[in-house]
Amino acid sequence: MKKKLVTVAAVCLLLFGVVVGKSNRAAAFANEPTPAASNACERDCLNAFVDQYLDAVVAHNPSRLPVTKSVKFTEDGQRLELGDGFWRTATARGTYKFYMDDAEARQVVFFGTMREAGTPVSLVLRLKIENRKIAEIETIVVRQGMNPSRPQDTGAESFEKMGGPDPLFLEAIPPAERVSRDELARTANKYFSGMQMNDGKGDYSFFADDCSRVENGQQATGGRNTMASSSGPDNSYAVLAGCRAQFQSGLLHFVTRIRDRRFVVLDTERGVAFAFIFFDHAAGDTRTFQTPDGKTVTAGPTNPWTWEIAEAFKVEKGKIRRIQAIFHRCPYGMNSGWSSWADAMSDRARW
Amino acid sequence: MRARLRARFSLGLLLLIGVAVRPGAGPAAGQTCDRACLNGFVDQYLAAMVAHDPSRLPVAKNVKFTEDGVPLKLGDALWATATGVGTYKLYFAEPATGGVGVFALVQENGTPAILELRLKVANRRITEIETLVARKETTAFLNTDNLTEPRPIFLETVPPADRPPRSEMVSIVNKYFDGIEQGNGDIVPFDKDCIRIENGIQTCPSSASSPLGALGCGAQLSTKIFTYIQSVSPRRFPIVDEEHGLVLAMVRFNHPATQQTVEVPGHGTMKMGRYSQWPNSTDIAELFKIKDRKIKEISAVIVTATYKAPTGWE
Repeated sequence: MKKKLVTVAAVCLLLFGVVVGKSNRAAAFANEPTPAASNACERDCLNAFVDQYLDAVVAHNPSRLPVTKSVKFTEDGQRLELGDGFWRTATARGTYKFYMDDAEARQVVFFGTMREAGTPVSLVLRLKIENRKIAEIETIVVRQGMNPSRPQDTGAESFEKMGGPDPLFLEAIPPAERVSRDELARTANKYFSGMQMNDGKGDYSFFADDCSRVENGQQATGGRNTMASSSGPDNSYAVLAGCRAQFQSGLLHFVTRIRDRRFVVLDTERGVAFAFIFFDHAAGDTRTFQTPDGKTVTAGPTNPWTWEIAEAFKVEKGKIRRIQAIFHRCPYGMNSGWSSWADAMSDRARW
Repeated sequence: MRARLRARFSLGLLLLIGVAVRPGAGPAAGQTCDRACLNGFVDQYLAAMVAHDPSRLPVAKNVKFTEDGVPLKLGDALWATATGVGTYKLYFAEPATGGVGVFALVQENGTPAILELRLKVANRRITEIETLVARKETTAFLNTDNLTEPRPIFLETVPPADRPPRSEMVSIVNKYFDGIEQGNGDIVPFDKDCIRIENGIQTCPSSASSPLGALGCGAQLSTKIFTYIQSVSPRRFPIVDEEHGLVLAMVRFNHPATQQTVEVPGHGTMKMGRYSQWPNSTDIAELFKIKDRKIKEISAVIVTATYKAPTGWE
């Protein structure tokens, strides 16, 4: 009997210890997602994982993170050990923060700014959550060094000047107008299909009349594209005013392949689709082409050039109203680290 | 039965003839491929590349091709953009393993770049193609102005009696990479007049006007100015040309950007190179001239890579 009592007391103590331990831990990490019995993780829960991740990065301490045993981490397409790469060099969080959530896929994307050794950099982070633990971590860090020909294109300072994401991205779509995940992805994917080997002759009605695009923190539509163009003003799509007009010009032909199209966030509530993709510019014979007005144009990069890109779309009533992208140059033809070679080379969209 | 055998024999004969006359089946007949034969494969490759026509090349069915560490289809990347090959061609070969390579100046839509090409040839077919292309946009420094002819020292043959075995040649070169990691030139068997040229620019000894410019290759390492190169990994030595005393090393320098300055006696606190500023790697093809069992000269082709990116050949 005595033995039984001792056992019961020990079990009680253990249980008490577990409860106390849990509450202490919760107090220590105020941003930590609240554990729940189910596997569900909605918008707030997903965003809290992002905050917890970024705080741990700045603290250079991956041991703080709740990760699965087989967690996979990539930076700029390369698989690294958690704690390597940006984990060693990050010094602070920035002020630009744009969260995109997909509770159904249990994925969240953060598009924001950070500091690396004091220098502003842009960061795109994707987390996949499984049973309240981080199972996948995909990052792109846009630094000055990786854009040797345009070293200022980290976008970070420009994004911070914008203050925050275009409010349209955060607005909910009226429930009656919400579309399926498939339809959302299909509409956004028309952008990539219309740009690849663009000839100006496609159906570009998927652009809303007021569509605008921001690339690396710069306005890329409205005739105010400050991104350098090698084509000269007469042959540059960039000087044209609208999303649709740029595609109708046929001047983007030199984007020879848009591949490894992975739609990793489809937020039907807000009409937001987010994709990781690569834009290849083969830079060979495809540099010379004819535009719909009969003009022969030579434009685009002169050597094989790939942009590693993260791109967000706001889709309303079947039309794209906002596009926001961040990108940097990477080795031509590189893989994202999340695709087979065949998928990485394919222009087929996946979600 | 006989008729069937005859038919089979005829078919076999036809197939054999087909193989023998197949266009582009290698620069010479027979299965062995000596230095001239291997260099012929390089020339054939360069010509096909400038013609943008990979179908001219005798390649194995499962040929592997990479440019800057990325596996690609043959015909893509520099194959689409090369418009010419300059006079600068530095060949090296290892007939015993079927390895051959070249450092060459190429024109790409009228702009010069340095190509490193490594081929592996087996049974008169190219089985491996590894290239690095140093373009002004993909490397921190590049100067092609002086790349007209290979430096004569790389063409000198080593008397047969003076040729160290392959393993010793590799060991000598490997110490260079150890010396970089450890910031210690004393462990590297440098010739006292060793010269290093990277992407067409002499970097040791370099310009007397730069702070450490007058220092030799070993003394430079010992200042620890290069210890931002935290590791040289992976390291491969795919071609050892014993006849010319040459070793081709294919390596990746990893720069985690955790150290940007170093104390150099007599110079105070010095800022390290550009690659110390953010996490990155460099893919490097480095050709070493070994003379009298010492490193006499180094020529390197360097391309900026994503931090710890695979080279495509691990």
